[in-house]
Amino acid sequence: MAEKAILYDATKCTACRGCQAACKQWNMNDEGAGEKTAVTGSYENPADLSPKTWLKMRFTEVESGGKVRWLFTRQACMHCTDAACVKVCPNGTLYHNEYGTVSFNKDTCTGCGYCLDACPFNVPRSTRNLLTGIAKMDKCTFCTSQGLDRIAEGYEPACVKTCPPKALIYGDRTTLLATGKLRVQALQTKGLKNANLYGENELGGLHVMYVLDDSPAVYGLPVSPKVPGESIAWKDVIQPVGWAVGGLTIVGLGLNYLVARANAKKEG
Amino acid sequence: MSHQEVEKYRRPVRIIHWIHTGAFVILFLTGLVLFIPGLAFLAEDSWTRLIHRIAAAIFVIIPVLYLIINPAAVGRGLKQAFTWGAEDLGWLKAAPRYYFLGDEKDMPPQGSMNSGQKMWWFITVVFGFLFIISGLIMWFGKTEAPLALLRWMVFVHDVAFIVTGAMLFLHIYLGVFHPKMTEAWKSMASGKISVEYAKMHHGKWYEEVAKGQEEKTQ
Repeated sequence: MAEKAILYDATKCTACRGCQAACKQWNMNDEGAGEKTAVTGSYENPADLSPKTWLKMRFTEVESGGKVRWLFTRQACMHCTDAACVKVCPNGTLYHNEYGTVSFNKDTCTGCGYCLDACPFNVPRSTRNLLTGIAKMDKCTFCTSQGLDRIAEGYEPACVKTCPPKALIYGDRTTLLATGKLRVQALQTKGLKNANLYGENELGGLHVMYVLDDSPAVYGLPVSPKVPGESIAWKDVIQPVGWAVGGLTIVGLGLNYLVARANAKKEG
Repeated sequence: MSHQEVEKYRRPVRIIHWIHTGAFVILFLTGLVLFIPGLAFLAEDSWTRLIHRIAAAIFVIIPVLYLIINPAAVGRGLKQAFTWGAEDLGWLKAAPRYYFLGDEKDMPPQGSMNSGQKMWWFITVVFGFLFIISGLIMWFGKTEAPLALLRWMVFVHDVAFIVTGAMLFLHIYLGVFHPKMTEAWKSMASGKISVEYAKMHHGKWYEEVAKGQEEKTQ
């Protein structure tokens, strides 16, 4: 199966937030009590991602040359190839599916929250009881949730389907890479010198790529996102060291027992 | 054969020891399930985390309780655990021959805690603090604390887990299985050890006890 991707074009986005609504609706995150929202002086709403808000539009106001620019960014799982969340997940709850995007099995999630800490884009969220610590992670599934799998049925993700200005498009990643690059070229010839395609090589290649008309930093995106070393250290270093230390201790104690017992017997 | 016994650990100390040990073993096992991928199914739906937190509360409360009940004993224990001298170095050098070969001629006489036990106290205190601080931040700061801080707290918790886990194996082994530590188990179970054992293993301490200037059990 060819790798799939979503291409988001910030220069076409009108920030209607239809994708936000479609995401909630399709994934049945609009059920039950709604999320409390508040007026913050921005159209950005709700204030943050949550276990029931997997996608939201971020509004950024940038002042330059006496003019205010109003920038829109899509905030949701970027479906990285080198995904920190997949790397730190203790039991394979998070994994790469056949399309190259990051799925997870909610049933096996232990709620440890390592993925929340490790994600360079700060995307996963969890329901979490402060006292008991009972928790489950949630995030964008690229519309591959069991029973709600649009991709397997040959449909585009719900956010893409609903986007009126076609700022979101879906397809094979290689095709979208070419589309994105062409669009960036067009923007640059129009005079937007900083136009760039975000996600081609970041973290081994993202499966959600952005056409931006300015540096990623201006949009509040990490310029060169990295998988945090101290996070993956736990599987690459801590776990093997733990096995080695624990194993050697037990072997050493066993040897000691044999030697010490033999000597104790000799003494009578 | 009639033999004389001397009290090594008083009842409150023994109770505190066993509750703290129980809490730690539960914490160790409920942490281990995240460490061994094959066991992670036990952690599904967060039940091990709930147990972990209950045990964590006990793990924190018990030393505090000990401090309230008997601050002098805690102070003495801490002082011993953090005072290291030439004798301890001598002990550490002689210990392998003793623990493997039973050769005790180079072992310096020990107080109520030998250098190995002091090391265990030291590790318990230092890593206990690291456990508690990193644990509290992960417990109460999961949604508020900076992500980098949370990442490092997991790291610290893991390192403490490995060090104390290995030391726990050692502690259980010496307390229960080692052929020479015949009465270590008794000292923490019934509290009493034979005079011979006390002289042999805690010579300095026994002298003080015998002189009547009983250093109360730590």
